[in-house]
Amino acid sequence: MQRFRPQARRALCCFSLTALLFTFAVWPQDAAAQRAGSAPAPPDISGVYESIANGRVLPGGLKNSGSPGEIALLPSALEQMKAVNPKDDPWRMCQPIGQFRMMAREHTIIELDPATGRMGMLFEDVAHGLIRFIYLNRGHSGRPTVGADPNLTFSPFSWLGDSVGRWEGDTLVVDTIAFNTETWLNDAGARHSEALHQIERIRPILGGKFLEYKMTAEDPQALAKPYTYTRYFEKLDAEIGDDICLDEE
Amino acid sequence: MRLYLLWIGTLFAMANAPAAAAPDWTGFYMLAGARDLAGLKVVTPNLNKTVVDHLQPWAKLKMETSNGDADDTGAVCMAAGILRAPGSPFSSAFSVLPSRDKVIMPYWEINTSRVRRIYLNRQHPKNLTPTWNGDSIGRWEDDTLVVDTIGFNDKSWLTGNMAPHTEETHLIERMRQVEANGNTFIEVVGTVEDRKALTSAYTYTRYYKKQKIEMDVHACAEAVIWYKQWRNDALKKEYDRAREVK
Repeated sequence: MQRFRPQARRALCCFSLTALLFTFAVWPQDAAAQRAGSAPAPPDISGVYESIANGRVLPGGLKNSGSPGEIALLPSALEQMKAVNPKDDPWRMCQPIGQFRMMAREHTIIELDPATGRMGMLFEDVAHGLIRFIYLNRGHSGRPTVGADPNLTFSPFSWLGDSVGRWEGDTLVVDTIAFNTETWLNDAGARHSEALHQIERIRPILGGKFLEYKMTAEDPQALAKPYTYTRYFEKLDAEIGDDICLDEE
Repeated sequence: MRLYLLWIGTLFAMANAPAAAAPDWTGFYMLAGARDLAGLKVVTPNLNKTVVDHLQPWAKLKMETSNGDADDTGAVCMAAGILRAPGSPFSSAFSVLPSRDKVIMPYWEINTSRVRRIYLNRQHPKNLTPTWNGDSIGRWEDDTLVVDTIGFNDKSWLTGNMAPHTEETHLIERMRQVEANGNTFIEVVGTVEDRKALTSAYTYTRYYKKQKIEMDVHACAEAVIWYKQWRNDALKKEYDRAREVK
């Protein structure tokens, strides 16, 4: 076997030791965190998902349940709904319809994208779904104020509200407030107030092939009682498409 | 013997070492104003003029005969593509959501500019269906994200004054993060080629300043009544023009 010259051996030793030191310096931090007993990393739920059809039954008897059409309205909200012109449905005009209606629909396609301090929820049907940022590093009171830039005048109320999230084990719990009142709660035209409060619980099931999604809405000025529905989203091995809304005016 | 053991250990460690992390550009960016741009060079500040100077005769004629809002999907809150975004401050505000295999850029004008997805793990598909924002793929060259986009449809415009393009449009961008004047920017050097619509390629540079606030989720025409009025005006113009042609 060929022997190395002393200078070459020293150079190789230096290179090898440097490579080893570098490698261990940047070794994934998870192992250290696990040894220290810190909380396990949340599950990776990134990907593209589509809500399953009503009536489809998943292993374990899991299936969609509940519907925005079943909400119980306060008398004043019921009267308001009766006066609504169906032609004013935001859906017909390619306007955002709010996550309470959007997530309940069959074949809604979403993309979940975790990034630093937030989870992006993007809809293939951009016009009706828009985009959601779920902030994981602050509460509602920590929302950066408009005063940070005097040129901007954002309203505190918006189509999809202010969403903050936290992980409870394998479940992402999303709390949303500060909605504007442009959206409807169902196809029949049930309106809501700015007091609308939504809580969503999202977790991977069946080996990550599906998401279980539970939506609860409460609004003391419109709903007689809180309402919860459940949907299941199937993970797709596909990129999200480009869905263009053409309004029905 | 010790040397060989060291080699084996080194090879094992290198095989298991994580790849160098890409820069984290997460945040909300808006087209930088003049006061933030001291020391930074903006190439082609007037995109409209530059693009017109590069148009082939047929494209210039089409631009001159286009009819305002009636031909502008963006004016009625529908998709308008990203090619004209560098010419407009409102279309040039976006968030960046970097992930393992792509960089996602949702625009503040989400109804019109929509969402860009720059895929880092694949090439362009062979049979592309043309879309408003095309198909973007990217690769990191050190701290620079090099983005190649093809597959645009020919329904959008290169500028707000309705300079047309074809499905041959090819957009190459070099994006990197720079620090200047106490702010963080994404610098974009864009080059647009279209052998069927342009006499030659044009290049621009833009700086997008990272904001201290989060991106508001904005819907085009926040009030439905405004949207209806806007859309009706556009349709009326289109109707009037059709009558004139008859």
